[in-house]
Amino acid sequence: MFSKLIKSFAIGASVAMSLTAPVFAADEGPILVVSGPLSWPFFAAVKQGFDDGAETFGIDYQYIAVTDTSNMTSDYPRLLQQAISRKPSMLLVGEFFPDGMDPLIREATAAGIPVLIHNSGQTLWEDNGSIGFIGEDPFQMGYKAGELQAEAGVTKGLCFNQVPGNPTVEERCNGYVAAMEEAGVETIYQTIGTGDATNPQAMTQAIKGTLQANPGIDGIYTLNAVPAMSALRAVEEVGRKGEVMIGTADLSNEALLAIQNGDLAFAMDQQPYLQGFMSMQVAFQYLNYGLQPIGHVKTGPLVIDSSNVETTIEVNKKHAGVRGAS
Amino acid sequence: MNKYLKRPETGAFAAFLLTYIFFAMATPGTGFVSVNGTAGWLNLAAELGIVAVPVGLLMISGEFDLSIGSTVGAASMILALGTNQFGGPTWPMIAMALMAGGLIGLCNGLAVVKTKLPSFIVTLATNFIVIGATMGVSRLIANVTSSSIFASESAKMVFAFRWGQANISILWWLLVAFIGYRVLSRTAFGNWIYATGGNEDSARAAGVPVERVKVTLFVATGVAAALVGILQGIQWNSGNSTYGMGYVFQAPIVVVIGGVLLTGGYGSVAGIVFGTALFGVISSGIFYTGWNTDWIQLFLGLLLALAVLANNYVRRLALTSK
Repeated sequence: MFSKLIKSFAIGASVAMSLTAPVFAADEGPILVVSGPLSWPFFAAVKQGFDDGAETFGIDYQYIAVTDTSNMTSDYPRLLQQAISRKPSMLLVGEFFPDGMDPLIREATAAGIPVLIHNSGQTLWEDNGSIGFIGEDPFQMGYKAGELQAEAGVTKGLCFNQVPGNPTVEERCNGYVAAMEEAGVETIYQTIGTGDATNPQAMTQAIKGTLQANPGIDGIYTLNAVPAMSALRAVEEVGRKGEVMIGTADLSNEALLAIQNGDLAFAMDQQPYLQGFMSMQVAFQYLNYGLQPIGHVKTGPLVIDSSNVETTIEVNKKHAGVRGAS
Repeated sequence: MNKYLKRPETGAFAAFLLTYIFFAMATPGTGFVSVNGTAGWLNLAAELGIVAVPVGLLMISGEFDLSIGSTVGAASMILALGTNQFGGPTWPMIAMALMAGGLIGLCNGLAVVKTKLPSFIVTLATNFIVIGATMGVSRLIANVTSSSIFASESAKMVFAFRWGQANISILWWLLVAFIGYRVLSRTAFGNWIYATGGNEDSARAAGVPVERVKVTLFVATGVAAALVGILQGIQWNSGNSTYGMGYVFQAPIVVVIGGVLLTGGYGSVAGIVFGTALFGVISSGIFYTGWNTDWIQLFLGLLLALAVLANNYVRRLALTSK
């Protein structure tokens, strides 16, 4: 009993040092979140959801993520390992890299730590002992984009992947290609050198070149809002503006304005804010009342097109960061 | 004839010409050699070229700057936060972004000459510090790490004007290259740069203000990187902390392709310009071929190795011929 008291005091102290706010009244360690890099507006919105959830339910947590995104495949399992070794009362994890992370999650759940998965890992949570999943399958996200383009009559689609080697992002292209193939539409899968993933000019020239080499392309799907702007410019530069249907994953201010103008057909929103907020809600209710949703909670894809873009722009102006668009 | 063969840029020019001809033949009917195709690879080369020229001069003086990547992003974010979150006027914000670039360069320069540590490590550290600070401050101020830019019409004229599909950044590139050329080949300061990189101790003994040369070049590099951030930011109406990260190694690569010795003391601005143009041709031309893009980096690497080899061969030939 005494030793347990000391232990909880020690953990409480260490948490208090790492957090500015007072500690949540759990005597079994902190709530730890292992999620995506905050340099991406998308995960900034996820964190906003976590923060708002924590405030709403009066709990404390710590957000753990990489700052250098060049080596995430090996960094994330390491971060997760460290989080588990701190014996958290609950672990909220984005399972971005299953090969390295899944065995660790199994270890954690076997040791009795409740784990809730968000964002990535939709096909894995049931087998690794997690209590649930909140988020969206990247494959389904791409699939929906493919369906939309095939329905609109696209005859040759291009999936442009600016970060080859990232399995989560690659799944979006796989989903797009699968949906297009089912509809009998030809697709091209294009990647770009890793140094150019954040250079909009390089992406524009790459897409421009591919459009020139394949004049039949009349649909483009990009995996982020920045390359979506490059795709718009490239289509304009080859003189095919209005003839190529462009859709993208994720949002940005520019992408929303382009949807408003009719230059961009759609953007797929997986509502990152909800992934954070609802994870926090489930954590609170699970830890305090033993309640949990059954089955996985879907947060997307919400298709943003001309029908609902105005509202999205309004919300984005009033509540910066909530929509994951900036 | 021999006089021209011995110049540092001859190898780079030959490699550029061969690469261009290769892509012109490999991409028939796709418009790579058309006006618009040319504007495309020039746009790509121009932004890299603006920062590659001062990086090249710095390398001739014997130092590296790997902090350019995050400086580009930082400048674009200063402009974005200033014009968007604070609603400030465009031009003073542009001045602030340029000054921030100069300040980063000044810190690099002073750190390198005071500590005598290798600039490779010092500026690599700066690169992380600056991108981290950019993200942290942007998050504190506006809860974002990328943000829209609202530039005035006059700023758009100067930084994002386009003739057809050719960006005004090409003119900026030529301007920076011209200034670099004048400084390196027509001024005493240019001689000091060569002397500093050739043999620092004897340069110092001969009265060259080695420290001042280096600090000045670091500041120039920072300002040029900030200029690229402004150009990209205004062109794409958006600031992003990660803009420019690709330049960290692309800039030294094109400088070396351009005939500058990694050890310093040798090179020319014309060579750097051809090296940058070659990189632009390769990284845009490769997509006009329509080949499977998974192989692109392998191909890019091979072409770069070939270009450097050809360059080296031509230079050796030139230096040994009587």
